[in-house]
Amino acid sequence: MKNVLTRFPRRSLVVLAPWLVMALLSAGAPGQVQKHPKAARPSPAASLAPYTETVRVTGDANKVRFDMVPVKGGRFAFTDPTSGKVREVIVKPFWIEKTEVTWDQFDQFLIVPEKAKPGTADAVARPSHPYMPPDRGFGHTGYPAISLTFYSAQQYCKWLSLKTGRKYRLPTEAEWEFACRAGGPPVQLDEKGLDAVAWYSENAGGTTHPVGKKQPNGLGLYDMLGNAGEWCVGVDGKPVLRGGSFMDPASKVSCKARARQTPAWNQTDPQIPKSKWWLSDGPFAGFRVVREP
Amino acid sequence: MADEQNQPGVQVTRRQFLKTSAASAAVSLFAAMPPGLGYVQGSDRIKVGVIGCGGRGTGATHDCANSAPGVVIWALGDMFRDRLDGCRNSLAQLGNKADVPDSRCFVGLDAYKGVLGSGVDLVILATPPGFRPIHFPAAVEAGKHVFMEKPVATDAPGIRKILAAADTAQQKGLAVVAGTQRRHQASYIEAIKRIHDGAIGDLVGGQVYWNGGGVGNGVPPKAPGQTDLEWMIRSWYQFLWLCGDHIVEQHVHNLDVANWVFNAHPVSAMGVGGRTQRTDPVRFPMIFDHFAIDYEYPNGVHVMSMCRHWDDCPGNVSEHIVGTKGTANPWGQIFGPNAWRFSGNNPNPYSQEHTDLIASIRAGKPLNEARQVAESTLTAIMGRMAAYTGQVITWDQALNSQENLYPDLTDPRAPIPVGKPPVPGKTRFV
Repeated sequence: MKNVLTRFPRRSLVVLAPWLVMALLSAGAPGQVQKHPKAARPSPAASLAPYTETVRVTGDANKVRFDMVPVKGGRFAFTDPTSGKVREVIVKPFWIEKTEVTWDQFDQFLIVPEKAKPGTADAVARPSHPYMPPDRGFGHTGYPAISLTFYSAQQYCKWLSLKTGRKYRLPTEAEWEFACRAGGPPVQLDEKGLDAVAWYSENAGGTTHPVGKKQPNGLGLYDMLGNAGEWCVGVDGKPVLRGGSFMDPASKVSCKARARQTPAWNQTDPQIPKSKWWLSDGPFAGFRVVREP
Repeated sequence: MADEQNQPGVQVTRRQFLKTSAASAAVSLFAAMPPGLGYVQGSDRIKVGVIGCGGRGTGATHDCANSAPGVVIWALGDMFRDRLDGCRNSLAQLGNKADVPDSRCFVGLDAYKGVLGSGVDLVILATPPGFRPIHFPAAVEAGKHVFMEKPVATDAPGIRKILAAADTAQQKGLAVVAGTQRRHQASYIEAIKRIHDGAIGDLVGGQVYWNGGGVGNGVPPKAPGQTDLEWMIRSWYQFLWLCGDHIVEQHVHNLDVANWVFNAHPVSAMGVGGRTQRTDPVRFPMIFDHFAIDYEYPNGVHVMSMCRHWDDCPGNVSEHIVGTKGTANPWGQIFGPNAWRFSGNNPNPYSQEHTDLIASIRAGKPLNEARQVAESTLTAIMGRMAAYTGQVITWDQALNSQENLYPDLTDPRAPIPVGKPPVPGKTRFV
């Protein structure tokens, strides 16, 4: 069946002209982008095109590729999760990763360079080796990177940005929800509809699954619902995990689903201080990246 | 996710289980004996000393303090001032469950003596494993109850010291709980009870795994003025005398489950091991990055063990038991005609192990896991010996091995040889 999310007519996404000008200006603004010739290319927001990012790791023949999907900006009725009030939110155009970040991608960040050059991607603080394998035995190649703290996800974005010269970061939850809804209203899919697009507790068998195996949403994004929950920057600037996961029941998996970290998420980390990189009890916590024009 | 609530019923389940297991003989015998020297009666305050204040020691300190009322952290000891201070600073979170003045903080190689002499009732032993055969007998000699992290030795002479002290602890009525926390995890306890009750028929074999990405990032260059001893302890995972290699330090958890399930230790081991990812001789001077060991248990039962420290590869930390009428994942699943999956409260085992320890002391029925964890540690050491030498190693050979890894620390500033990776076929069994 077709993705249920696409059943709903897209709202006419009104892009505010003054804002667009600002977005263009900021895209071409001087600063860190000048260090990287690639990033100096203007990327008019109105003509964002899909592209494949390639990351080459120093001293390693491996190259990691992943696809980025443009999201036209717009405004939409966003239910503020803190107040419960519906308000209109304007989202600027951006790219979002087609899938959740996989171990293939994240592993490249874990490799400790022999000689780190200060000021480069090599010098970004990277995760310690966890005592327990963080993939939890679910699978590795092609599977979403999980058991990650918000901090780990942010550091990955920092590393990726320095590595590629493009500005990658975690999505705001408004951006994430806008991309998840793909132009439609927030809906709670029935189980049949959800089964077509998501891994959740009733169909996941207790594990994550390789990314991109279910149907994509209307923007061509996979696994926005379920599989790994996805770290976003909350409306209050604090970490929030969106979309539900393979551990959540169907009723808790939607574009509105959000969770805050609790002590239970790293309860059985036997060390003090507990790891700032890994969630001993958070096999449901992953992420995907967005890129600003 | 694990439930945060502790469940009193779990202890009952555990005791009931023990009565049905081979360990019951020792436990029941001991329960019938009059209380010994080390008892803390009723709800009296239990004063805890910590020997080894790193991340795990600090974690165990908090777990212990929070495991029961009337427990107070009383003294700290560590080789290094900075590690001790890190632990001590964290004690603010414990409020009046910690009372550690400067006079009960001890630094240096002999810090454990200060802690043992500070009036504590119970000590947490959480230094690198190479020191356990010194600290555990000393704690027993001093009449202290003990929580000790696994593994409990890195060589056979160390195991023999632990075993001797285990018997002394029993005679003195001291409680000893080890950091093989699966023994205190509700889902494991229930699954293995079912296995012992025949849920998968007669046990014919199994597989145990700790496949992960490694621990730590290797050894940094020695800092100016740093002694070999400090340099090694700061990167203890990479040095055999301190760590025992990862089959001992980490995989001991899964081997302990095998010994628990089969109610026995193996009779022999043969296997393979080597270094494929961690080949840099400077950062990784000694230990292997993979082992696969075939353990033979009594009655011809074989358990295949595999552990590796390989980056960018799938992880797997689990056990799998094969019976004539089904299979089991001792974490909490039975497959076959008696299919079952654990559900319900599964309290954090890192807390539960302390709750059980304190409860056993207060009930006058001290748990003593010292022999059990020594046997599991020797199981791992035997596997290491088999992989390092390429030979079949029997239990008796392993137990009586004369290989002494502990360096002469009479002068703690003296150089300590680093050693090289073993070569199967050339490295000799000692």
